[in-house]
Amino acid sequence: MSFEYAPAIALLPLVSFAIALTVGSRMPKKGAFAGIAATGGSLLLSLLAVRQVAGGEHHNEELLVWAGAGAGTELELTFGILIDPLSALMLIIVSLVAFLVHVFSLGYMNDEGEVGLPRYYAGLGLFTFSMLAFVYASNLLQAFMFFELVGLCSWLLIGFWFREAAPPSAAKKAFLVTRFGDFFFLVGVVGVAVTFAGATETPLAFAGAESFPVVAEEVVEGSMGAGELATFGFAPQTWFTILGLLVLGGVVGKSAQFPLHTWLPDAMEGPTPVSALIHAATMVAAGVFLVARMYGFYAVSPQALAIIAFVGGFTALFAATMGVVKDEIKQVLAYSTISQYGYMMLALGAGGYIAGVFHLMTHAFFKALLFLGAGSVIIAMHHEEDMWKMGGLKQKMPVTYWTFLAGSLALAGIFPFAGFWSKDEVLFEALVHGLGASPFLLAAYAMGLLAVPVTAFYTFRMVSLTFHGEARTEAAEDPHGVRWNVKFPLVVLGVLATVAGFLNMVPVVKLLGASHLGPIPLEALHDWLAHGIEGVNAEHYTLADESLTHEFAGYTAGYVGSELVTTLLSAGLSLGLAVVGAIAGYRLYDAPDPTEHTDRLGSMKTVLYDNYYQDEYQVWLAEGVTAPLAQLANRFDQGVVDGVVDGVSSVSLLSGSRVRRIQTGVVSNYAALITAGLIVLLIAVGVLGGWF
Amino acid sequence: MVLVLIEALIAACLVGAAVTFMVPDRYAGKVGLAASLVPLGIATYMFATFEASGNALMGGQLAFEEQFQWVTLGEAYALNWHVGLDGISMPLVALSTVLTSLAILSAWTPIDERQSQFYGLVLFMEAALLGVFSALDFFVWFVFWEGVLVPMYVLIGVWGGPRRKYAAIKFFVYTNVASLAMFIAFVALVFGLGDAVDTFDMPAIAAALGETGIQADAVPVPGLDVETFKILVFAALFFGFGVKVPVVPWHTWLPDAHVEAPTPVSVLLAGVLLKMGTYAMLRFNFTMLADVARDPNVAVAVGLFAAVSVIYGAMLALAQSDLKRIVAYSSVSSMGYVILGLIALTVYGVGGATFQMVSHGLISGLLFMVVGVIYNQTHTRMVQDMSGLADRMPVTVGVFVAGAFAYMGLPLMSGFAGEFFVFVGSFGSPNLPSSPVFTAVSMFGIVVVAGYLLWAMQRTLFGPFRLETDYELGRAPVQDVLPLLALLALVVLLGVAPDLAFEMIRDAVNPMVGGEVSAALGGGA
Amino acid sequence: MAVPVEYYLLLSAAVFCVGLFGILTRRNALMFLMSVELMLNAANINFVAFSQYWGNLTGQVFALFVLALAAAEVAIGIGIILVLYRNFGDVDVTLAREMRW
Repeated sequence: MSFEYAPAIALLPLVSFAIALTVGSRMPKKGAFAGIAATGGSLLLSLLAVRQVAGGEHHNEELLVWAGAGAGTELELTFGILIDPLSALMLIIVSLVAFLVHVFSLGYMNDEGEVGLPRYYAGLGLFTFSMLAFVYASNLLQAFMFFELVGLCSWLLIGFWFREAAPPSAAKKAFLVTRFGDFFFLVGVVGVAVTFAGATETPLAFAGAESFPVVAEEVVEGSMGAGELATFGFAPQTWFTILGLLVLGGVVGKSAQFPLHTWLPDAMEGPTPVSALIHAATMVAAGVFLVARMYGFYAVSPQALAIIAFVGGFTALFAATMGVVKDEIKQVLAYSTISQYGYMMLALGAGGYIAGVFHLMTHAFFKALLFLGAGSVIIAMHHEEDMWKMGGLKQKMPVTYWTFLAGSLALAGIFPFAGFWSKDEVLFEALVHGLGASPFLLAAYAMGLLAVPVTAFYTFRMVSLTFHGEARTEAAEDPHGVRWNVKFPLVVLGVLATVAGFLNMVPVVKLLGASHLGPIPLEALHDWLAHGIEGVNAEHYTLADESLTHEFAGYTAGYVGSELVTTLLSAGLSLGLAVVGAIAGYRLYDAPDPTEHTDRLGSMKTVLYDNYYQDEYQVWLAEGVTAPLAQLANRFDQGVVDGVVDGVSSVSLLSGSRVRRIQTGVVSNYAALITAGLIVLLIAVGVLGGWF
Repeated sequence: MVLVLIEALIAACLVGAAVTFMVPDRYAGKVGLAASLVPLGIATYMFATFEASGNALMGGQLAFEEQFQWVTLGEAYALNWHVGLDGISMPLVALSTVLTSLAILSAWTPIDERQSQFYGLVLFMEAALLGVFSALDFFVWFVFWEGVLVPMYVLIGVWGGPRRKYAAIKFFVYTNVASLAMFIAFVALVFGLGDAVDTFDMPAIAAALGETGIQADAVPVPGLDVETFKILVFAALFFGFGVKVPVVPWHTWLPDAHVEAPTPVSVLLAGVLLKMGTYAMLRFNFTMLADVARDPNVAVAVGLFAAVSVIYGAMLALAQSDLKRIVAYSSVSSMGYVILGLIALTVYGVGGATFQMVSHGLISGLLFMVVGVIYNQTHTRMVQDMSGLADRMPVTVGVFVAGAFAYMGLPLMSGFAGEFFVFVGSFGSPNLPSSPVFTAVSMFGIVVVAGYLLWAMQRTLFGPFRLETDYELGRAPVQDVLPLLALLALVVLLGVAPDLAFEMIRDAVNPMVGGEVSAALGGGA
Repeated sequence: MAVPVEYYLLLSAAVFCVGLFGILTRRNALMFLMSVELMLNAANINFVAFSQYWGNLTGQVFALFVLALAAAEVAIGIGIILVLYRNFGDVDVTLAREMRW
């Protein structure tokens, strides 16, 4: 069976976009059903794709030529589809979350009587389309194009409530900050195209023998000469590192890594279902997914990997500390998102390809769950987001509570919820490669580990403040009920957040020494990602004896005692810290009328509350540096550049007005001048001609 | 069958102009539109049946070529009527006809006096524009080139805003001085090289200059060798065309002209007139005098002009609070990309530059029209005077948003295609030393452009509704919105399928860069 | 016995200078016109003198042309002077300065 239906996976949401935009206002739910049907269809087709991939098939084909067809150029720019285990997995995640978000929106938007819903559903449709097309893009240019479209959709949806002042501003910030990252990405795309165009037919492709990661690998390995590459005077590996880091600029922007993370908390101005979509499955995930997608290219560059790991580890800790002091439920979740994507970057940089993807998957489930849960709470609280005004919601909304709790346990990394398994694997990979290869990774690991109790603390602070204790406001005493369309997505995601971790139970495998327990695979995701298109799978990246990270970055596992001991130590350590953090957060805030214990942090709290003044310096860069510079340029332009132009005309006018005074208008004067001229001429001719 | 289509195209405009001049003002708009649909139809037919290969100046097979003797000057010189289209000029001809028709439609609302003269002049200008893009004899070309100036001067000077006289005279004098420099340089090129050139036929000039047999002492000025002479001519031509583009630092006439000009005139000014400059540069500087452009020092100088135009123009746009000035300065920035693509002298570079001309014509036309539609309703263009317009004019604002994102280079819209081609072409250009640096610096323009357009949109379109003028905000009439949607459709079409135009452009660009595949990108260590 | 040509030239130069003096010193338009006539006639004297000197008729033909021209000039000149008088109430040439800057 072929993958002929594959284009439809992305195109269905595009159709729903068109429907919602054109006739949405005349449809019963303003386009929601079109969106639900489209994303549902995408989900089914994605499941079909996964089934086929499970059967060992994959798909890497150029669909159409976008530009540069035929003779005359070396570079054909194409659109294609690449379905391998990685993108198939991501397709499921994206279409599932998008589907659930559409359903949830019925409750969050339609039932709340919002206006402008066709625009909302059109935005969701376009968002889903862009992300799906990005996920199975077969080449870097296509990925970039849909990456940018994802940015546009985030702008549209974050600024959905455009009649207020804050959302348009937040939307602008989100687009601008990510655009800053995308600038580097675009330089990287252009650089990759130019570098590899001389050497291969498909310089931008992700997979295949002629793709840029494979060529880069062959060049660095020495099995292929660098003669046909344009490396602008750099050694090939150095140049690949530069290109990789340029592309990473886009990743840092979209995945909200330090220092381009500042847009994400502001993006909470958008409707909550949109936040769920952005954070769990689309925009923010796109960055990390891109690193995984072109992992082969990063794997040949130890410096790039180290930077990815370090940025990830730092962001994980950095963002987690800010989450501790926030008052609004969505703000806490926003910082947790930044922090969790830091873990994924840490994993990828530390050679834990599978761990990174694993965490990407589990996080998608539990973060979507938490956001939708928060959305449910916000509906109940009549759009109040401050946690200090909630409390005691546990009894009044049990479905939301229990699912939210499942998500929180997963986020905190408590056994046996999904987050535990994936976060544990991330830290394990960082630890063993840190021990075996580079102390630099150990530092990143330490930051990641330190973030574990902090994460658990703020998570349970959030749970306690929201659901436990006693109702602190009237709204919390009498919450607005929610319907099936809110509960259904919560339940689905709650189950997933609980069980998704069982896909990859590395510690259990190590403990049992067997990869299967009877017929049940214990590390299904591991096996899933290990195979796939040649050269583009985990086996090749990290697992094999001669894997890329081992060969080029020198990543070797090092252990404390034996492998098993290290595994258990790592798991125990992170679990222990998580439990300590969770209990602390629960105990401190599980009171009828809790007090803000983080006040004890003193001035540190102010720093955290103000996000380490990251926003301030970026706003200063925009308003304090760029804007005055632009004003200066404008004054220079008006004064000097245009001044010269106007000056030329003024000088002409002035000299004209002086010279014309000679023209008295009196004929006698002219005659006298003529006569005088004649006499002067005569004398001159006479003197020169020797008359005298 | 003899189809003198180009002549028919120009004649249709002239006849249309004459007819429109004579009808009463009440019907002038409709007659003008109808008259402009004729050349649009012809151009569409030409685009659809276009069959040509190679570059017009480099012995390519042209489409719709016509050549006959026009005026004889003594025995030595004959002025030939020589017109024809290749893959570079065809899209620009199509662009001119499309934008003229849409500009006429968009003029229905704002132009409320002397209509017949207005539409007549617009059609007259269209004739001259089409002549510029199709003429292949220098003399004919120059007549058309100057012929564009006169109606433009009148259009700004009569129908413009409060400072229209200042703006019109500045525009006219500035561009005329530039024309003078260009004319002198060109005549020097034709007559200053002994018997080597001695013709006004542009393909023949290009061929003659391309030959290596020019005597070293051909220039009749002592101490001036042929190479230096050519560089001087190149510089004078670059200045002459650079004013039109406009290249920083010769750009200051542009914002004044745009601010004062009525919207439809701005549309044509930004959409087509600026392209005359880059088109002429492509033909003269980078085809006829391509060996000068291959001089590394010249290339660096031109590259600097390009990069400075991009960044400086964008910075200036950032400092403006008049919507039209914002768009005007961002045109300076966008045209910088065109120069960058041209100096790259690669298939993607020059082809991308040409594509960017078409794309920028559509997008800047779109944005000027949107600003005009908003102005028609609000009677203000100042950012601080309004906010929350999205609440009242959803369709217009939707188009504004789409146009702004197209300007920022959003993928699947034509702006991205043009910019990406230019960047790919220039990044590894073998012609431009340190091309990656020039490219990367210019690319930063895409961040700044996003900055000021997003800022302007946030302030004017979103937030709570507020309008600080004495006017009631009405709904934009259909004839205002229709051209917007048409342009947007074209922008998206060219963004999704750029090869519609890019294929023919590439075909005409190939001979300029040697036609070698390896020169396409300038790859190679 | 023929009068040497230098004598005619001296006469013509004298007449020309009288005319020039008139133009430079007088403000009355009629005097202006008469001075111009004097200068023209000085030229006529030269024409006729050289015609005789060279022995051909070209100079005399030109002198006739000049006479015709002078007649036309006087006609127009007097017309202008009349208009001048009508507009300015005087025939002073320094008064009419309306068309300068």
